[in-house]
Amino acid sequence: MAAFWLLQLLNTLQYAALLFLISAGLSVSFGLMGFANLAHGALYMLGAYLGISVAAKAGFWVALIASPLIVGLTGAALHLGLLRRIAGKGPMPQVLVSFGLVFIAVELVRIVWGDVPLTLAAPEALSGTVRILGVPYPAYRVFVILTGAAVAILLWLIVHRTGIGAALRAAVENPDMARAIGIDTGRLFLGVFTLGAALAGLGGVVAVPIVSASTSMAMTALIPALIVTVIGGMGSVTGAMLGAVIVAVIEVFGAALWPDASAVLIYLALAAALIWRPQGLLASGAKS
Amino acid sequence: MFRLTPMRSGVFALTVAALAIWAGLGGFFAREMVAEIAILAILALSLDLAAGFGGMVSLAHGAIMGVAAYGYVLACQAGLPPWPAAVVGIAAAALTGGLIGAVSARTQGIFFIMATLAFGQMIWTATFRSDALGGDNGMGGIPRPPLPLADSGDPLVFATYALLLLVAAFLLAAALLRSPFGRAMEAVRDNPARAAAIGLPPARIRATGFMLSSAVAGIAGVLAAQHIQFVSPELMVWTASGEALVVLILGGIGTLTGPVIGAAIFVVLKHWAAGWTDHWHLVIGALLIAVVLAGGRGIYGLIDRGRDA
Repeated sequence: MAAFWLLQLLNTLQYAALLFLISAGLSVSFGLMGFANLAHGALYMLGAYLGISVAAKAGFWVALIASPLIVGLTGAALHLGLLRRIAGKGPMPQVLVSFGLVFIAVELVRIVWGDVPLTLAAPEALSGTVRILGVPYPAYRVFVILTGAAVAILLWLIVHRTGIGAALRAAVENPDMARAIGIDTGRLFLGVFTLGAALAGLGGVVAVPIVSASTSMAMTALIPALIVTVIGGMGSVTGAMLGAVIVAVIEVFGAALWPDASAVLIYLALAAALIWRPQGLLASGAKS
Repeated sequence: MFRLTPMRSGVFALTVAALAIWAGLGGFFAREMVAEIAILAILALSLDLAAGFGGMVSLAHGAIMGVAAYGYVLACQAGLPPWPAAVVGIAAAALTGGLIGAVSARTQGIFFIMATLAFGQMIWTATFRSDALGGDNGMGGIPRPPLPLADSGDPLVFATYALLLLVAAFLLAAALLRSPFGRAMEAVRDNPARAAAIGLPPARIRATGFMLSSAVAGIAGVLAAQHIQFVSPELMVWTASGEALVVLILGGIGTLTGPVIGAAIFVVLKHWAAGWTDHWHLVIGALLIAVVLAGGRGIYGLIDRGRDA
C-alpha cells in the first residue's frame, strides 16, 4: 500500500515538473505585460514535434537542446513580428490573434508531420528503472522530475537573486514606474517571452517519451497551464510552482482514487480558486 | 447604446432574403448550406450578446451550444415530443451558461476568457468520456420537429425553418438589448464601478446576461441537432467556440447584423476552401489575425455608422 502512495507521489512530481515548464513562461509574460498568449500550448506542441524530428536525426540529447532553442526563436520572431503590435491593446485582440495562431500552428503541424500521433523512445541511458525506497520507477520519469526541479531552482535564483530578476519583479509590480526609472520593459518582455517559449518547447520535448505527440496537445497543455496560472497567481515563478503542484496532485490522485470524476476535478478546483481568490494564491503585481 | 438602426435591420433583412432566395433556387447543397449558415449565425448572434454588448468574450459558447444539442437528444430519447424537447435543450444551455456565468462573472477581461475556455473544455471532456452520452461516437437518430403544413425532412422546408428561427433570434436579441436589462448590461460593460454606484449589481447583471446569451446559443444547438440529426463531442470542442468568435469578429462585433453576415461568409469560405485543401483552418487563422490587425471592426462594422461602443 505504501508503494501505491509513493508511486502516486512520484507521478505527481513528474506531472508537476511538466506543468511547471509550460506554465512558468505563460504566467510571467502575463504578469509582466498582461499578455495572455493562448498560443502557448501550440509552442509546447511545436517543441514536441521538433524534438521528435531532431531526435530522429541527431539523438535525444541534441533534441533536448535544439528543440527549445528553435521554439524560443520562433516565440521571439512571433513577438517581434506580430504580438508586440497588439500588446497593450486589451485582452480581446490578444486572445483573437493568439487563437488565430493556434489554428495556424495546428494546421502547419498536420501538414509537416501528419495526423497520426508520433512517439519518441526515451534515450538509452534513461530507458531502465530505478528503485526509490524499494519501489521501481522509470528512470526517464525521474529525469523529468529533476529537469523540472532544476529549471524551477534556476528561474527562482534568476528572479530573486539577480539584477535582471529585480528589474523583472519591479516591472511586474508597476510597469509605468519601472519604465520611469529606466528599465527597458519592452526588451525585458521580449526576453521573458523568448525564455517562456523556450521552456514550453523544453516541456514539449521532455514530455514526448511519456505522452505521444498529437495536434490536440496545443489545447490539452494550454488548459492545465492556464489553470496553474490562475490558481498560482500571475507573474510569479513561485506561484507557477505551487499551482503546478496543486494541479498535479488533483489530477494524479483524482485519477487514482476517483477515476469517474477525474475529468472534471481540476475544473472544480479552478472554479473554487476563482470564487475564493480570483487574483490567485501568490499573485504579484497590481493587476487582479 | 444599441440601436436597431434602419441600416442594421435593412442589411439583416436583405441578407436573410438573399439566403432564402439562394435556398429556393439552389439545389440540395445550397439548402444545406443555408441551414448551416442560419445555425452558425444564431450562435454568433448569441456570442455578440455576451461579448459585444456584455464585454464577456466567451470561449465556452460552442460547448454551451453542444449542451443544448445533447439536452434535446436526451429529452427525445426520454419520450418527449420534439417541441418540448427543444425547450429542454434550450433550458439546459441556459442553466449551464448561468452556472458558468455565475462563477466567471466575478472575473474580468482575460480572466473571464480563460475561465470560459476551461469550463468549455470541461464540458467537452466530460461528454467525451461519458458512456451514457455515447462518448466519442456521439448519438444519432434525432428527430426533426413536426411543422404545420410542411415536411421538415425536406431540405428547403428545413432551411426556411432555420431562417425563420434566425429572424426570431435576431428580434429576440434586439428586444433584449433595448430593454432596461440590456441597457444595464451595456452600462456594466462600459463602466462597472459607475454602474455599481447607481445601484446596478455588476456581477449579477453579467451572469444573467451570460445566461440569456447561452439560451440563444441553445436555440442554435437544438437546431444543429435537428439539422444533422446526430450529435457528437465535435460540437463542443474548442475550435467550435473559436470559430464562433472568428465569425463574430469577421462580421463585426457589437452590431447584431455583423455576426449574420460573418456566418454567411464563413460557411461559404469554409466549403470553398475545404474543396481544395484539407487545411482550411489555416485560412481561418490567417483571416482572424488579418481582421484584428485591420482594426477589428469586421466587415459590417466598417460600413455601420450606428455603432457607438
